[in-house]
Parts: sequence; C-alpha cells; structure tokens
Amino acid sequence: MSLLQVDKLTMRFGGLVAVDAVTLEIPPGEIVSLIGPNGAGKTTVFNAITGIYEPSAGGVRFAGHETRSEFCGSVAVLLLLTGFLTAGALILLCNIESLWEVVITGNYQYRQVFQWKPANIAFTTYFSENSGTRLILPAVLGLFLGLAGAWAVWQRSRRAPEVAAHAGIARTFQNIRLFNQMTVLDNVLLGMDTRLQTRFWHAALRLPLFWRERREAAGKAIEILRFVDLDREVNQLAENLSYGHQRRLEIARALAMQPKLILLDEPAAGLNPAESQALMELIRQIRERGITVLLIEHDMQVVMGISDRIAVLDYGEKIAEGTPAEVRANPAVIEAYLGKSDAST
Amino acid sequence: MKLRFHWAFLLVAALVPVVGLFVPAARSLGELLRPIFIMAILALGLNILTGFTGILNLGVAAFMALGAYAYAILTCDIYPFQFGFWPAVMLTVLVGLLAGLMLGLPTIRLRGDYLAIVTLGFGEIVQDSLKNMDVITKGTQGINPLPGPTFAGYMFRSETYAPWYYLFLGFLALVVLLNRNLQRSRVGRAWIAIREDELAASCMGVNPMKMKLLAFSLGAAQCSLAGALWASFLGSSGEPGNYDFQVSIIALCIVIVGGMGNIAGVLLGALVVIGCNSIVLETLTNFLKAHELISSTNVYTAPGNWKYMLFGLALILMMRFKPEGLLPSRQVKAELHPHEPPPS
Repeated sequence: MSLLQVDKLTMRFGGLVAVDAVTLEIPPGEIVSLIGPNGAGKTTVFNAITGIYEPSAGGVRFAGHETRSEFCGSVAVLLLLTGFLTAGALILLCNIESLWEVVITGNYQYRQVFQWKPANIAFTTYFSENSGTRLILPAVLGLFLGLAGAWAVWQRSRRAPEVAAHAGIARTFQNIRLFNQMTVLDNVLLGMDTRLQTRFWHAALRLPLFWRERREAAGKAIEILRFVDLDREVNQLAENLSYGHQRRLEIARALAMQPKLILLDEPAAGLNPAESQALMELIRQIRERGITVLLIEHDMQVVMGISDRIAVLDYGEKIAEGTPAEVRANPAVIEAYLGKSDAST
Repeated sequence: MKLRFHWAFLLVAALVPVVGLFVPAARSLGELLRPIFIMAILALGLNILTGFTGILNLGVAAFMALGAYAYAILTCDIYPFQFGFWPAVMLTVLVGLLAGLMLGLPTIRLRGDYLAIVTLGFGEIVQDSLKNMDVITKGTQGINPLPGPTFAGYMFRSETYAPWYYLFLGFLALVVLLNRNLQRSRVGRAWIAIREDELAASCMGVNPMKMKLLAFSLGAAQCSLAGALWASFLGSSGEPGNYDFQVSIIALCIVIVGGMGNIAGVLLGALVVIGCNSIVLETLTNFLKAHELISSTNVYTAPGNWKYMLFGLALILMMRFKPEGLLPSRQVKAELHPHEPPPS
C-alpha cells in the first residue's frame, strides 16, 4: 500500500487551474521526484498535501487517512462548551444590572449579613418572570451563535498545516523559511514540538518532566544537527548561517519532527556542485532512516541521480511518470522542457 | 553563573527599604517604586503578547480595569462578597484569564493591525461599560473604600510602606519567574516561532490559534493582577477614566523602550518610563515651584505636564537610534542590526 495517495487533486484559484486532476502514489521507502517547468504547479501540490490549501476537488490520503482532523467526541464537547459559554455570557449581558439590583442590592444592607435565601428566591423569580426575553431568547441566540461560530472555525481549520504535521508529513520551503532570530538549536527543537509531552503547566512550574524532556530533546537535536553536519553552529542565529547551511538547517528542522514522509521543495537551489553532491548523499541517508522522500527539484543531476521514480508536471497536468530512464526518453517530457521540434528540422 | 539583569533588579529592589531605615532619601525612593512594580507587571503581561507572540494589543488597560473592578467588588464591604485579599486576587486572575479567552476566541484569527483595532475597541467598550453600569460599579465614583491586604494576620496600613513594597515586589518576582519559565520552554519557543513565521511554525505542528489564545489569556491574567494590586494600593477601584487608552500606550511604551521580548528589558523600561514620570518630573516640578522659577498658575511651565510629549519624543528617538530598546533580547537585536556580528 502506498504511503501517500494524491487522488485527482485539482486546485483552482479563481479562473486559473493551477493543478488539474493530478494523481500520485508514493510507496513507503522510495525517493520520488516531482519535476516540471516553472509554474507547472509543483509547489501547489506540496501546499495541498501539507494542508496549506484546501483542494478544490480530489483528495489527499496519507497512510490510509485523510489529512484532516476528524469529528470526534472532544470536538463535540468543545463546540458545546463554546455554545454554552456564549449563551451564558449573553444571558448575563442582557440582565446583569437588573439582576444585580434584585439579587444583591435588594438583599444586602451595609455591613449586615447577606440574606442568602431571599437572594436565591429573588434569583429564581427574576428568571421565571418574563422568562422569554430574559432567559430563553438570549440563551437560544447565544447557543446558536456560539455553536455556529465554533463550527465554522472548526470546519475551516480542519485541514491545517499542523494537522498534516501531526500525521507525519514534514516539509521544507522553496524560499527558505527558517525562524531567523532563533538559534539553530531552537529551530530544531521547534521542529520537535509535536514529539514533546511537556504541557504549559510543566513548563510554568518546572516539574521534573520539563527537565527530563529538555535534556532528552537537546540531546536528540544535537544528534540531528550532527547528521546534517551543522553541529558546530548550534548557538548561531539561523539567519547568520550561510545559504547552504540554511538549506541543511531546514532539512534538520523537518527531520526533527520524526516524520514518515518528508517533502523537499528545491533543496538544491543555489547550491554549488560539491554541495549538491553532499545533498544527494544526505537525501539517501534520510531514506535509509526509513523516511519516504518527495522531492521538487530543477537540478537534473540530482533528480536523475537519486530518484526511484519521477513524475512530471506541465501546466498543472501530470504528463509522465516512471523511472529516471523512462522519463528521460519520454517525448512529452522533452517537449515540455525544450519545446516542440519543428517538422522541417 | 552570570547574574541576569532581571534577578539583579529584583535583588537591588529588595534592599531599598533596608537602606531606607538609615537613609531617608532611599525611603522616599522606595515609596515611589511601588507603582513601578505594578506597571512592570502590566507591561510584562503585554510583553507576552507583543514581545513574544508578536500580537499588537492596544487595550491592556481594559484588562487592568477588569482586574481592579473585580478585586474591588470581591473585597469591598458595600457588597456581600467580602473576600480576603488572597482569594480575591486569585479570583481576579481567573477573571482576567476568562476575559482574555472570551475576547480572544472570536478575534484571534484576525491578523496584525485588525486585531490591534479590536483590542483598541475593547479598551473603550470596557471603560464605557464600567462608567454606565453604575448599579454595580458606582459609575465614575469608583468602588471604595477597600480593606487593606492581610498577610498571616498582619493588616497592611497605608502609613507603613515597607510591607506594601515587599508585597508588590513579591508579586513582580513571581510574574518574572513565571514568564521566564515559559519563555525558556516549548511554549515560549512556539510563541517566538509564531512571531517569526507563522506558516512555517504551523507546518512544524505548532497550532498557532491555540498558542496565541494561551498568550492572550495569560497576558490578560497578568494585566488583571496588575489591576487588582493597583486597586488594593489605591484603596479604591479608581474611576473608569483611570484606565484609558493612555495607560495602554504607556504599557506599550515601557515594552518598546525597554526591549521587546526581553523580561529584563521590560523591567528596565518600567523603571525608566514610570520613574521619569513619577520621580524625575515630579521632583523637578516641585523644585522649580519651591524656588519660584515657574509660576504655579501657568500649567504649561510645569515639567510634570510635559510627560506625554516627552514619551512621544522618547519613542521617536528610540525608533531612530535604538529601535530594539534599551535592553534588547538577542533575537530582536539581530533583526534590527543585521550587519553586526552576533554575540557568541
């Protein structure tokens, strides 16, 4: 069974069809490349896979599941809670002054004992009189507003990047998007965020779990940085790294998520030939760690050198797929890259 | 280990009343320092939002007002609740947490300037509501008198300043400790990552909405704490006009002058901004008046009335010459002076 199934994925932006019914199957443990001329829709496919875009049609299945959060009990509780909270707030907002007068002011004399019992009775009678406008209307309206609002927000955030990240998809970006003003170590530690068990209160009170996890996480981060050969730059700010090192740091940050699938968006862009060679070696080593690689790349030496399979996009459509040798010989691919050969030549 | 500025600040501050036993000048300084501690707590609350998470909040005074009024209603004897100081403060923090959550839930998906405008509007709404719900808040009178805090049977009185001083200093130390713990943990890391690049952070599995909401409610809770302490210090909730836009701007001023995203910087900012306001300008005005160098009838000549002009000037000068603040966090400094080599 394939790890990632992109099924007739279509992305429309207004009238523009950026990706048109693209189908891709990525088996586990392979290195698959996605190539094509500029503007062919490769990065758009990546964005749809990682949940940045909601597909206009078609779907993305990762490890047998849709990469979006499912409706479950805790979501229902959260929705209901928001609904009740809004209802309560609205009831309070509508009645607070008159309620206060009846319940508090009416039953309390300065420095006397507060009359709990009459206050309680006043409270119930207040809401039983005119209960339509005082209680039921704001309650229903609030419940409706809260539920509808929470439902809309949940619907819109179902397919979010963090959902794909939690499922096990990591990615790098075409134009490097590191956390520039964080150190190299912190960048990697942030990548590890989905794997941490520390919660807010552990951190606030510095409970034992916090210390233990901090030690372990730092150790793992250093190990990953050593893997990409950046362990001498641990305390540098990310933006002060050289371009090639920034590319490596992005990969390290993605690896820190311990993903099943890693999407690399033009990792060799701007690298010199020696760096490209090192990158190829690194990608092979990533695969040896059991991580499937999906790659967008323009550097044909890299693509042909390491890919198990290659898919070619042109104008949003998949025009070819196969092993490097098959793709190299495919006339449609040659046409897309070099143009149609004239009949006379 | 190097002593960090914020711990040094707290340590020196703790010694001021002791010195004040022997040197009267230190005593009067100590009395003036108390509002600085409260404003520092307020600014630290704002720092979580603006400094760490990068959300501009122009309505922190509203949370302070909510805190002050909640504390006043819970303790004042014209109402039946009459909680003690400690439970009232805890409940007030809870009120702030909830208020932040209630404001944050529907608005947190707005970005940048739009969210800033919402918070600005919230500030005005709270102020006007407090003014108009006079059954509960006594309108522009404010709720008073409030009983002083008690600690292990000891009753705080307005004549003695040292217990108050240590009370506020203790709260400030607690807030500094909490903020530092959060900053150097996965929570703070996620906040700063959201400030740096929200999309990249969410692709790494950080839920931006959740983290922003956490920042929002924690910031609001700290601002409410500042409000509760302020009310207990005044012995009154103060009138709604005390918590106007200017308070929010002063808090922002403290954060910017001191250094965004740096706890020590915010403490220094509070010292400089509020110190300049309530110590330097006051003393100067009194001195000039005493020596009849300025007329007491012409308000324009009193330096104490120039404070907003001076704050504005300070902001402009800071932005021109030291945009990262007096005591910048390493990250922000690198952002604003990209060509200098980083400290290693």
